[in-house]
Amino acid sequence: MVGSNSNIKLRLSIRYLIAIVLLVIMVFPYLYMVLNSLADWSQVDRKLIPTKFTLRSYQWLFTGGETGITRPWIHAFFNSVFVSLVSTALMMMFAIMVAYALAKLKFRGRDSINNFVLFHMFFPAIILIIPNFLIIQKVGLFDTYWALIIPKAMSLWGIFMYTNFFKAVPDAFIEAAKLDGASDFKILYKIMMPMSKSITTVVFLFLLMERWTELLWDMIVVRSDGMLTLNVLLSQMFGPYQAYPGPMYAGAVMLTLPIIILFIIFGKKFQEGMQFNLK
Amino acid sequence: MIEKNNNRLGWLFASPYLIFSTVFFLGPLIWSLYLSFTNWDLISPTYDFVGFKNFTKALGTPGVRSAFWVTYKFMIVFVPIVTAMSLFVAVIVKGLPKLKTVFLIGFFLPYLSSGVVASLIVKGFLSHTSPVQTFLRERLGLDIDWLGGSFSALFVVAMIMAWKFTGYYALILTSGLESIDQEVYEAAAIDGVKDSQRFWKITLPLLYPAIYTTLILSFGATFGIFTEVYQLTGGGPNYATNTWQMEIYSQAFKNLQAGYASAIAIMAAVATFISIFVIRKILEMWGKRNGWV
Repeated sequence: MVGSNSNIKLRLSIRYLIAIVLLVIMVFPYLYMVLNSLADWSQVDRKLIPTKFTLRSYQWLFTGGETGITRPWIHAFFNSVFVSLVSTALMMMFAIMVAYALAKLKFRGRDSINNFVLFHMFFPAIILIIPNFLIIQKVGLFDTYWALIIPKAMSLWGIFMYTNFFKAVPDAFIEAAKLDGASDFKILYKIMMPMSKSITTVVFLFLLMERWTELLWDMIVVRSDGMLTLNVLLSQMFGPYQAYPGPMYAGAVMLTLPIIILFIIFGKKFQEGMQFNLK
Repeated sequence: MIEKNNNRLGWLFASPYLIFSTVFFLGPLIWSLYLSFTNWDLISPTYDFVGFKNFTKALGTPGVRSAFWVTYKFMIVFVPIVTAMSLFVAVIVKGLPKLKTVFLIGFFLPYLSSGVVASLIVKGFLSHTSPVQTFLRERLGLDIDWLGGSFSALFVVAMIMAWKFTGYYALILTSGLESIDQEVYEAAAIDGVKDSQRFWKITLPLLYPAIYTTLILSFGATFGIFTEVYQLTGGGPNYATNTWQMEIYSQAFKNLQAGYASAIAIMAAVATFISIFVIRKILEMWGKRNGWV
């Protein structure tokens, strides 16, 4: 081996030091957001690390303070939770179903569908936003939850990930289960799903995060206050609340914290799943 | 063996996708081609066919021209920065005996941010009274209007994106680095490969598949920039950050030019498709020429 023992130790501690400094820099914007949401208003956006704290920004956010105009922050939060969860659940369900067909059921036309999924996935989605908006408007779903959910109920990437994963599962498992008289639904539910835990964590978290932070679509298909997602509401208040950065940071915390907590809870599983799927 | 039963079942399981792609992909695709030849304004019940007028008009406007070039400007700034940063993180973190997962998850957290939140924080950072700006002004005598300058505004948005994507790409690169067998390095050392040549002669060739993935992802990401630009600059100053999505949004939903915006969307899709294709080919040639693939 090259280098002495102490040399290796020194190198390792330098790497740890760099990693910690880098991590602090990368996470600092979040820290800045949280601290500023709690900072005394005289210090918001004036100090790197505020020293005086208050809950005024949160209180202001929910009451509208001296403007007296309240915005539906809590309602928007629950809209976001509802829309993201339902949308992601549908994306997962359909991805699993379709992928099972594409990977494990032999039927006429399967290869064509497989190719079409790839074509669809790599097609620049930018072209679809206007006509999809018009479809929603034409069928009368503008400004409803359906508009936020249905067009976001299918993930090509999800289908792609599950198809690849299911393909790697040996057919013998399925044939054995079929001999025991299990139906395809049962095989999917009892055999394929338990085997796919690692990929399910990864796909679920990616899809949920993407849905949670969507802006453009959520912004154009709803209009009334009661339908806004939290991300859209925060975006809308960017200009009007320009003079109130504290409450804006409080809103940003509301939007960011849940998803970060979720990731930290599932973090280890997520990282293992990523590692697994990258190989 | 194809059973009759499987035929029906296959179509049944695939049907959600087939219905979805008909309604939200094939249909809209045709509709938007049709719209691009009209002058429809999203409101009036009638409209006329204008032939290729939308396309010829679009080519001459600063909005569309900037959208075309801004995407490549973002690439030039964003791709090298994010690649260098994620590679650096990966080299530091790979194979750490302890806390590796904690680091990787920590670096990944920026990826979870909404573009709106990232924009808000950056706006605060760069506001006149902010500690950063005060420091630059009072200590260094620099009074920079970050979002007011053409290049600095583009740079700020590119840096937000680099912040967001570094951890994600680092995750991919770390697992690429860790799949390289340590013995390769030892064998190379015996063969007389110097430490300074190690990266170019061993690491890069073996890491090529992972780097290829992150490069394709990062080039692709530049075509989807919207939120940060919408929030911070509105495409300005003077179209300096006007991306395709921003231009389409402005034309379709602010100016209500549905026909004209559809034409721009088609041009955007064509530009995206060709660019990605060319970039892939170049990356593949780069790998083949060096004998890495």
